[in-house]
Amino acid sequence: MGNRPAVSTTNQISLEKVRRVVIETMPRPVSSAGEIIFGPEGVLDSLDLVNFLADLEYRLGQEFDRELVLASEKAMSRSRSPFRDVNALAGYIMELLAV
Amino acid sequence: MSAKKRIVVITGTSRGIGRVLAQHFLRQGDIVCGCSRKPATVRHRSYRHFMLDVVDEKAVVAMIRAVVKEHGRIDVLLNNAGIAAMNHALLTPASVARSIFDTNFHGTFLFCREGAKAMLRHKSGRIVNFATVATPLRLEGEAIYAASKAAVESFTQVLARELGQTGVTVNAVGPTPVPTDLIKSVPQEKMDALLARQAIRRFGTMKDIINVVDFFASPQSDFITGQVIYLGGVTG
Repeated sequence: MGNRPAVSTTNQISLEKVRRVVIETMPRPVSSAGEIIFGPEGVLDSLDLVNFLADLEYRLGQEFDRELVLASEKAMSRSRSPFRDVNALAGYIMELLAV
Repeated sequence: MSAKKRIVVITGTSRGIGRVLAQHFLRQGDIVCGCSRKPATVRHRSYRHFMLDVVDEKAVVAMIRAVVKEHGRIDVLLNNAGIAAMNHALLTPASVARSIFDTNFHGTFLFCREGAKAMLRHKSGRIVNFATVATPLRLEGEAIYAASKAAVESFTQVLARELGQTGVTVNAVGPTPVPTDLIKSVPQEKMDALLARQAIRRFGTMKDIINVVDFFASPQSDFITGQVIYLGGVTG
């Protein structure tokens, strides 16, 4: 670990892991973690998103042994959707995992 | 779905219709995961009980995920848990109305939401919700109960459309009064008046309900969704 604080390392690894799970669960490949996945120019339509989030909750449960509900009030009340791209979604999942 | 044991989730299995439904599916050789606020009253090696309140979101999520973790899927979900309180609308405390909607509608919603997510993964599943003839008959004294079940009907029909292309069907059965704890406090003359409004004037039986549930839950019923079947010849 060198001189880096253990907690930062853990967070970094977890964010990477979450991002990887998100990308692996995507029903269609994304060219970058910043590509819009849902919205007017997104790669997923609304039914794709429903399927994707259901799959993702299951995969996150397997990886982290946590029962997350991604479509929470917290997510829905935000002016910028946490489902817009992989980075936003991974960051949002990290928030949920931290609770 | 027919070649192997089905994984059946039933809410409200400690008594009444839910308990009978659990025993029915266990007799068919299926695996039943039930829940109620009280400890299990069903004893069977293929039965697993979860003690929870159907309005507790975290507990519902945990139950469904536990069932999927253990069995890999959910084939059938029966949203049977329900409460009723007969009273004139003007004499109904807000807390009672809220409680009836919580259990009858929000409980159904939560189990549908989580159960359907599990079913989506296998592109197959049968959800059966519980309505009541009190809704189409506009029964006096059951305004809140009937309204909560009207919400269940409407939700069933919209959810059926939302899941229409996924292999998951959503239907509802609307029983007539069946002699259970739920109606034991209803005056006899009220019950007689209610039966008089049915095309077939008798109490329903558990077998009548099981018959419709079996039909909706059948693997062959994959072209039937968004339907509400009332017993006793009551029409919507």
